[in-house]
This record gives sequence, structure tokens and C-alpha cells, in this order.
Amino acid sequence: MASFELICPAGTLAALRAAVDAGADSVYVGFRDETNARNFPGLNFSRKELAQGVAYAHARGKQVFVAINTYPTAGNAGAWHRAVDDAADNGADAVILADLGLLDYAARSRPKLRLHLSVQASAANPEAIGLYRDAFGVRRVVLPRVLTINDIAKLTSEIDIDTEVFVFGGMCPMAEGRCSLSSYATGRSPNRNGVCSPASHVRYETRGSKLVSRLGAFTINTFDEEEPAGYPTLCKGRFTTHDKASYLFEEPTSLNALHLLPDLKAAGVKALKIEGRQRGKAYIAEVVSACRLALDRFDRGLPYDATVLDRVTEGGKDTAGAYGRAWR
Amino acid sequence: MDDRANTRRPPERTPERTIETVVARLGLTLAQPLGGRLIQPVLDLMISTLARRHPDAFERMAELGEADLLVDPSDLPAAFLLHVGQKPSLRVVERSTVATARVRGAFAALLDLFEGRIDGDALFFSRDLTIEGDTELVVGMRNALDGEDFDIAEDFGSLFGPLARLPLRRPLTSLAGVLGNLHEVLLAPALRRLEQVERRLGRLEEGKR
Ligand code: SF4
Repeated sequence: MASFELICPAGTLAALRAAVDAGADSVYVGFRDETNARNFPGLNFSRKELAQGVAYAHARGKQVFVAINTYPTAGNAGAWHRAVDDAADNGADAVILADLGLLDYAARSRPKLRLHLSVQASAANPEAIGLYRDAFGVRRVVLPRVLTINDIAKLTSEIDIDTEVFVFGGMCPMAEGRCSLSSYATGRSPNRNGVCSPASHVRYETRGSKLVSRLGAFTINTFDEEEPAGYPTLCKGRFTTHDKASYLFEEPTSLNALHLLPDLKAAGVKALKIEGRQRGKAYIAEVVSACRLALDRFDRGLPYDATVLDRVTEGGKDTAGAYGRAWR
Repeated sequence: MDDRANTRRPPERTPERTIETVVARLGLTLAQPLGGRLIQPVLDLMISTLARRHPDAFERMAELGEADLLVDPSDLPAAFLLHVGQKPSLRVVERSTVATARVRGAFAALLDLFEGRIDGDALFFSRDLTIEGDTELVVGMRNALDGEDFDIAEDFGSLFGPLARLPLRRPLTSLAGVLGNLHEVLLAPALRRLEQVERRLGRLEEGKR
């Protein structure tokens, strides 16, 4: 039996097909609105596309999860409720939720629908996870990316539902669902509007041979001519303090925990998730097939190349994130 | 933290893309003195063909609102202005044309991007693609295009009517392979001559002003 289930992102139907063809066990998607944390222009699924995606995946024995993981605005939960209903009606195998009220709605109105707890809920202790399980029947928790391998192993041994962790993709180094940097700079946040450092507020400027990236009124980074660039996500900015420019919070890197497969297995992790619903289908195909190959070889006790994805990482760099972090 | 920095690597270019670049360069160079008269009907036909074959992508593009995207191939003598909105259109323009946003990169990379064969973010991270202006428009366009399976050969094959049914793809690909291998030797002088023609045309244009 495979050690891990591989959970892959898709922002379009073409990307979903690419993920399934490249070896995903499950694909997670979102609707084309602010009910999910990748509410990017031109991205995500209509109801019809979800039905088509589910049909494609199910025909090949794969699953589709729908992320409805932003927080409804007060007194205006209609769009979020409709998203849960439409995901269920269109054959989704699970919904990935964060908001307590929405979990309550889904548990009551769709008792057969499998519920996963989104990373956005930032549930990081057995008491919190136990509450979600007991109150709403949550069957799996996606763990926040701030935990170390030891934290994950301890937590997994203390709970009796599946754990899913991120193995590859963009980094969100704060406790998810609790970061206000994007709200501060742009008035729009991943938690309410489904987008961090939104493209509507991003500008790139060429100044001589340098590339300057800006978010709203803030300069986030300046790249020299030969330097790999990064998206101006606020927490990955290069800021000047005490006359020295440095990455204060996080470098523009991607998470790559492929070399930690033995530790993640020993920790009892059930599923590995790739971040990146906003990325194109060429990226999805490349990353999913590389992870599939690594997982298959790992299962057969063969050596595998954990660095094979360096080429597609942000800033041309990768990191094991909090899994192996020595905090500054 | 593991901070292995990668060296920047230019994207690989297939022989087909090399030929497409040379053909586009030749076409634009020869068509430019005639203004849009020669090339505009071809571009109109291309857009209407794509709209017919990929209605979902065009629906997504229409949702982006009325906007102009300057597609600026760094190795061609001119740029393209793509108007998105209710009535999409494509025109050949000077690369100094003001637009809502601008995307600049090698023609081959832009074609790869259009067909979804290459990761746009990775191209941007490696500095092979430059973006200016309204980033939301660029991201929206990328997503709208990436959701479809565009294929230049398939999509425009139908424009050649019965000719498209001839089994030409294989021999053309092998020819492209041969040319690709020899392109340093064979195409470099041709490209240099093209550049000279472009420069001469540029001087003539300036003389006219
Ligand atoms: S600013 Fe950084 S830490 Fe905060 S939500 Fe965005 S990606 Fe996460």
C-alpha cells in the first residue's frame, strides 16, 4: 500500500486533467469567487467545470476536493452555503473548510459530505482538532505550515483523524488564517477575499537594469539584473532595517519537503499536499509527476531525487520551511 | 534553511519554435512597410478562429473587462496589441505603444506560454519574462489561456483547408529538427541579413517622419 495520498492543486479544468494524468490521487479546486483562498483573476471553476472535472477524475479512480476555506463576511454567508451545496451536488468527494459556522452548516445540511479542515483554520493542538471532529465529524486536518516534524509526529499520535501536510509549493510562513499583512497593505486579505498580496495591487517597474516589485504603496523588493525574481508577497519582501536590506520574515523560496518523506511517514502523516492552484498546467504536470515518481520510488525502497523540482521554485530556491527550521 | 541558489537557465527552444520565430520575423519585416493592410486580415482570421474553437477561454477573457495587452516579443521587429473584452482583436504595433499592461520575452517563450507548455511563473522568476503595467490583467490573461488546450498547429491547421489534411507534420518536424541542429550555421547569417533589412527600413521610416 502507498505510504501517502498525493493531493494536487488545480485552478482550471486543463490543470485538473494534467494533475490526474501526472499521478495525483486527489485534486483540490475552488469556485470562481471569494469562497476560496486562491481567488485570482481568470482562475478557478464554474459549477459546470467542477462537474466535468469530477467526471474526469472519477473515471480514472481519482478524487476531487473543493476548498471553501475563506471566512464568510458577517450576515452574508449565502455564497459560502451555496458553494457547499453545489460542491456536494456536483459529486465532490470532500470539502475543505475553515469557518466554524460553515462547518456547522455543512455538517447539518449535508451529513454525507466528507469534511476536511483547511490549513486556514490553523488547528495545531489535539484539543482544537478533537473539537472539530466531535462537533462536525471532520475526518482530516490539513496542518499549519508552522509545525516542525516533531510537532507533527506528536500531534498525529494524539488525534484519531487523518493528517495532511504540505510537501511542495509556495510558502506561507505565518499561522494561516491569522496574517493581516496583506490587509494592512492593500485592504484585501487571504482570509476574507481569498487572495494575499493581490495582483490588482502589484506593479513591476524596470529601473535601469533593476526590477522593482511593488505592492500598493510599498516597495517589496529590488532585484539585480542576474538575480532570480519573486512575486511581491509581503512576507517575502526585502526590507531595510538598520541600513541593511534583508528578508526579514521569509526569503522568496518554495517549500520542498520531499527529502523528509521518511520522517513524514514515521510521523504518521496520511496525505501530502502540493500548493499552487494559481500555477499553470505545465507547472502542475511537472511538479505532480516529479512528486509521484519520488513517492513511488520511496515506497519501493529506492533512492529518489528530492532536488528535481529546484528549477520551478520561486527565486530558484527551496526550503524545508518550519519542518526543519532554526528560528532566527 | 536550505538556500541553494539556482543559476538562471534560458528556456529550451525547440526547432519548430526557431522556425516559427524566423517566419514571424520575416513576415513582420516584409509586411511592415505596407502598414496593417497585408497582415490585419490574417490576424482577424486567427482571432475569429480561436474564438470559435475556444469559446470558454474567450468568455474568461471577456470577464477581464476592456483592456489592451501589449505582447512584446523581444526578438521580433514589432509587437502585438491584444484587445480583450467584448470584441477581442489583435494588431501589429510599435513596441512603444501604450497599453494597460505589457508582457515581454522571446517569441518562442511567448508561444510556449500561449500553448500552456511552459510555466509562466518560472519564466518570470528566471527573468526571461518581463511584466509591466496592470499585473491583474496579465495574471487574468494567463489563467484564461492556461485553462484551454491551445495548439497552434491544430488551431490554425484548419485555416489551410484541404492542405491541412496532407501528412506534412512529420516531415516538417524532421526538417525543423535538421534546421534546428544547423540553425547556428544556417540561420545566423539569414538573421543577420534580416537585422540589416530591419535597420534599413527603420532608417527609411525615420526619414519619412
Ligand atoms: S503575507 Fe505571507 S504569511 Fe501573510 S498570508 Fe500572505 S503568504 Fe501568508
